[in-house]
Amino acid sequence: MTASKEFDNVLDECLERLLTKGETIEQCLQSYLEQAAELEPLLQMAVAAKKAVAVQPRSEFRAEARYQFHAALGEVASQRSRPFLGWFPRWATVVAIVLGLILVGGGTVSAAGYSMPDSPLYPVKLTTEQVRLALTPSELGKAQLSTELADRRIVEIIYMANKGDAQQVEAITQRLDERLIMLATLASTTRDVTQEGTKDGGAPEVLTLPSVEQPAPSSPEEATGEGDVRIETNNRAKLRVTVARYAVNHPAALRAVLQNEKIPESAKPALRDAIDKTVAGYERVLKALD
Amino acid sequence: MQNEESLVHRAQQRDTEAFAQLYENYFDKIYRYVVFKIGNRTEAEDVTQQVFLNALQSISSFKWKGRPFSAWLFRIAHNQIVDYLRKKTRQATTPLDKSTVISDSNPQLAIERKLDIEQLLLATKRLTKAQQEVISLRFAGELPIAEVAKVMDKSEGAVKALQHSAIVALRKTLVVTNNDSK
Repeated sequence: MTASKEFDNVLDECLERLLTKGETIEQCLQSYLEQAAELEPLLQMAVAAKKAVAVQPRSEFRAEARYQFHAALGEVASQRSRPFLGWFPRWATVVAIVLGLILVGGGTVSAAGYSMPDSPLYPVKLTTEQVRLALTPSELGKAQLSTELADRRIVEIIYMANKGDAQQVEAITQRLDERLIMLATLASTTRDVTQEGTKDGGAPEVLTLPSVEQPAPSSPEEATGEGDVRIETNNRAKLRVTVARYAVNHPAALRAVLQNEKIPESAKPALRDAIDKTVAGYERVLKALD
Repeated sequence: MQNEESLVHRAQQRDTEAFAQLYENYFDKIYRYVVFKIGNRTEAEDVTQQVFLNALQSISSFKWKGRPFSAWLFRIAHNQIVDYLRKKTRQATTPLDKSTVISDSNPQLAIERKLDIEQLLLATKRLTKAQQEVISLRFAGELPIAEVAKVMDKSEGAVKALQHSAIVALRKTLVVTNNDSK
């Protein structure tokens, strides 16, 4: 191997150690004392270049891009399903798929989960959401699921706004508003339960409702341990973090869409209304959580 | 890598969650690569989005055959950038001005303290196309040499040599001692 090739290898090994393994320039130079004088300035240049290119996408762009991508994913999922569904009347499709989900589970979930309001799978998505909410045992669990569903509504609003369908944007905004009202109610309910259970120093109340998967405890002691309360508090903190993030990201994503010149004018009033309702809705939820 | 292989396989079966995961894994890297190649953050946003939409449309055509997914995705990004730059009617050709030159009594410290992406971009314009590509993929895209080699259809040895010469050239362009600048 020529000296030049050998040095190329040494330089690359040091760069790998610096850039991906977090080692220092000094550590690397220690391994190659003979080449240290030549290596050092190049490694310093490389580290400076790496720092300079470490730009982060704007948070509004990140949010909007993610929503647009998920909308495209939804399109792909619904395209996949259309030929098969074309054989069935709409109501039969819904019934068949919901039954399929209940009996078999899994397979169609992600396809329906990503479907958009103009897809034949969309009613399945809404029905599946209702089923999931009904099967979620705890109030906190329902609240967590509600945040996920609110996130889906934002994706749908952006998707339909891009298509210039103001009516659909209004309809989804209505669903989003209802979801956020429910979320605020659930948030205040879980707060009351937690506070009642701990403020007088007595045993906290049972924080989860009985379900098929999670049978009701046979004795109060079983359900009222300190561990349950700690988990509940942690989950509540996680919920607050998610809500706080969405309270910023969701209106930001909608505003970014509103500023997009490609969005038809006809969809803009509905989009503005969606932004107002989203801001107000999350304020209510955060207030309830505080 | 096995995990990524499984994700890609699922994405090819139209598993939307798997594709969403790949998107999250590569979004920042592709964005940085595009910013570095285009030199404009706003325009880089549009191109980045388009890269992932193109990937979504053509994922079924991807075959492993010794080429990792990252190399395939960065190749899409590269093509998208070339296409974008071709469509752009007037290419901004900012000459390297004095603000690009870093001057300090200690040139090493000066680089670390003052180098920002704009300066680096201007300095990079002095490199050959191949050197630029290596720096973009290696530092902005964070790809290891083996994957850079796959994207560029070159041997690892050739890419290492390009990396070496590119860093030397960057340093030569950016570092000017006090004596030189006076």
